[in-house]
Amino acid sequence: MSKRIAIVEDEEAIRENYAAAFRREGYAVELFEARQPAMDAFDMRLPDLVVIDINLKDEIEGGFELCRSLRAKSKNLPIIFLTARDNEFDAVSGLRLGADDYLTKDISLPHLMARVAALFRRMDALLEPQTAESRIKRGELELDIDRMTVRWREQTVTLTLTEFWMVHAMARYPGHVKNRQQLMDAAQAVLDDNTITSHIKRIRRKFVDIDENFNAVETVYGMGYRWLES
Amino acid sequence: MLVLPWAGCQFVRETESALRRGQQEFLSGTAQAIADSLSQFPDEFLSGGTDKFNNDQIYGHPLANAPLIDGYFDDWSIGDASLRSLRGANGKIQFVFGTFRQHVFLYIDVRDTSVTYLTPGRLANDVDHVDLLTGDASGELTHYRFTAEAPGAITVVRVSEDGDVVESQFAAHWQDTATGYRIEVRIPRKLIGEDVGIEVHNAGAGTTIVSRSFTRNKPGRYVTKSALLTSFANGYAQPGFRLTITDRAGWRLAQAGGLASALKDHQFSIVPAGWQLIAYRALLEQGQAAALAEPDPSGREKQNYIARALNNEETTSWFRNADTGRAVVAVAQPVWSGNVQTGALILQQDTAAILSLTNESLMRLIALTIIATAGGAFGLLGYASWLSLRIRRLSHAADHALDNANPTMEMPSANAADEVGDLSRSFSSVLQQLAAYNEYLRSLASKLSHELRTPLTIVRSSLENLDHEPLSEQSKEYTERARTGVERLQKILNSMSEANRVEQLMENVESEVFGLSDVIDATTKAYRDAWPERQFLFNAETADDRVDGSPELIVQMLDKLVDNAVDFSKVDDEISIGLSRTGDELILTVENPGPPLPDNMRHRLFESMVSVRTDAGRDNLGLGLNIAKIIAEGHGGSIRGENIDGGVRFTIILPVHQH
Repeated sequence: MSKRIAIVEDEEAIRENYAAAFRREGYAVELFEARQPAMDAFDMRLPDLVVIDINLKDEIEGGFELCRSLRAKSKNLPIIFLTARDNEFDAVSGLRLGADDYLTKDISLPHLMARVAALFRRMDALLEPQTAESRIKRGELELDIDRMTVRWREQTVTLTLTEFWMVHAMARYPGHVKNRQQLMDAAQAVLDDNTITSHIKRIRRKFVDIDENFNAVETVYGMGYRWLES
Repeated sequence: MLVLPWAGCQFVRETESALRRGQQEFLSGTAQAIADSLSQFPDEFLSGGTDKFNNDQIYGHPLANAPLIDGYFDDWSIGDASLRSLRGANGKIQFVFGTFRQHVFLYIDVRDTSVTYLTPGRLANDVDHVDLLTGDASGELTHYRFTAEAPGAITVVRVSEDGDVVESQFAAHWQDTATGYRIEVRIPRKLIGEDVGIEVHNAGAGTTIVSRSFTRNKPGRYVTKSALLTSFANGYAQPGFRLTITDRAGWRLAQAGGLASALKDHQFSIVPAGWQLIAYRALLEQGQAAALAEPDPSGREKQNYIARALNNEETTSWFRNADTGRAVVAVAQPVWSGNVQTGALILQQDTAAILSLTNESLMRLIALTIIATAGGAFGLLGYASWLSLRIRRLSHAADHALDNANPTMEMPSANAADEVGDLSRSFSSVLQQLAAYNEYLRSLASKLSHELRTPLTIVRSSLENLDHEPLSEQSKEYTERARTGVERLQKILNSMSEANRVEQLMENVESEVFGLSDVIDATTKAYRDAWPERQFLFNAETADDRVDGSPELIVQMLDKLVDNAVDFSKVDDEISIGLSRTGDELILTVENPGPPLPDNMRHRLFESMVSVRTDAGRDNLGLGLNIAKIIAEGHGGSIRGENIDGGVRFTIILPVHQH
């Protein structure tokens, strides 16, 4: 059965365009243009993935509201924030609220499709037991490619897809410098320098939360980043 | 202020003239009074007859002492100027009469090429001799003869029809000279009558040439000073006054008193200083030469003003001594007896008092002028300096505010009520408006980008969907071009919102302490790879380079500057990055050869959406430097750009991290 994707977006043209892209990929799409109708529909039946525009018509923080209520309903439901606002603060709040990803509307449709596909894959992989082939170990780092999860010193580090792909890109060849372009490609998005910087910062912070002395992600100024294996 | 000295000079001049005139008036009054009382002495005046001057008249000069009868003139108390001249056979004959007490003295110098003495056998008439003729009131003449047998004391004879009689009351001396001979004679006063004359006989080969002091058939009047009038005059004499009384012809009958030379009073300055003389000459009226105020050595006053007085005209005159600056005021008053003018009275007064006053006034004037000028000049200078100081301070503050983009900074003189205050308030207002405009521009970028993102997303996502539809080749081309356009738009929007993002990042930055030179070193290597057609040089002059901040942002800032440096320079140009330290500041410089920064953009270089580039190679919105500035200032530092020889240098100052 095809997966059901809900799109909550107040701009009709964008809504329709996204819908067309998803449908082409074979997904079933439900469209909502405001928070309340979406909420009402979700009360009855949850979709398989939700794409939310943060600032919905008439409600500035409507998107955040929706995310909070959705998260309350389901812990695993993949939620993607899509927004024109390029706001660091929003990103942090959004992700704190439990969204899986925070994407700008800059993102190209193919990239969006790839992201959604990855999220579904991950969800499916989480339901399956872990296979040995999907795991990569680098020192204290353990990557599960299928599940797109990361463990450090046996503890799970909750990373967004973007963050996971970045860590994966670096850690696959420890010591190799990955430049921004490579990281961008890995993250399947077009990101500006500052966004990459923010992501790296967030990655570091999440590892440091677990391990104070974490310093495996090294900035090579002017070149990029690399994973240091101790 | 310049009028003051001129006015003062005029005032001094006028005052001096006025005082002088006043003195003349006073003198006039006094002269009139004295002249009136002189009317009681008609006889004294008329002693010489009522006739006016003629050349036959002879003056007997009052002498101060009795000369020695030795044939020498140097013990006479009058000078050569008093000598009268006659034309003699062999040249000039000079003679003069003088009186002292009861005697009349005669001195005569005769040019004679061959002096003949009275030798035995010779008649008196055939030798050189001098005759003195004197006539009394009835007209009877007495004839005295001076001849010499030899130089030395000679005997004087009275010539009469009855024979020559020796006059033992005379004392005479004959002196031979190189040019002729001289005779000096002492004559008892009573022997000299009303008229007196001289005859000089020059005996030559066979002939005798006679030179006479009178042209008519009898000798001219003998005039001398009047004792009575002299004592009268003395009664009026005072220091600084000179009284002279003349007869109708102008012969001095009396003189009393004296001018300034007698004054030793310290109250009046003696000899003025050189500069004062210059001042007098420049400022005061000159008048006639002082020498003209002196009594005429001939015994007869010939001055214009005296001559007019002898013509029954009251006159005043004044003279100035060029050497001492002193002026002499003179008044000539006709003297009457009944309805006949008998002579003239001349009253002269020294103006030492006026001069002293003038002096003092002048001194005071000059001092005052100097003080006033100096005071005025200092005042003006002070005021001008203070004013220009205020303006300079204002100008510096305005520059400072512009440089630091701090429009709320208080301008100096902001509360002043004058024009400088107005200027200051205008500056403040302009700066505030500038800041508001800048703020608007800044926010414009992010607002625009925000607004444009949604329609851009619509266009792009539509194009992406279009890709999946069957399209003709031509259509595919069009969509491709559309996509390219969209990508460019996207880049522009991204750079427009970049500044905003950077600001947010700065606010939320998790700062760390890092070594700046390591970061720059690594980045420079990356630049070399990225732009092989430029030379990158990094020179770190300090090892103490720790900064508290975000290394990524510093790199981002450096990226912006290096981007510009690469764009503005040419292939193989050298871009040099320098790091040095002064005090507790790190100085980071990025230099590139290339065109200079335009002067008028100096303050606007780092503002949002201001681009100094004229090329359209990139979609350049002028945001790069704005971001560099945000990052520099976010780290507590500053950035500036300046032109250097042949290129441009950007300098960033960052605070060194203190422990």
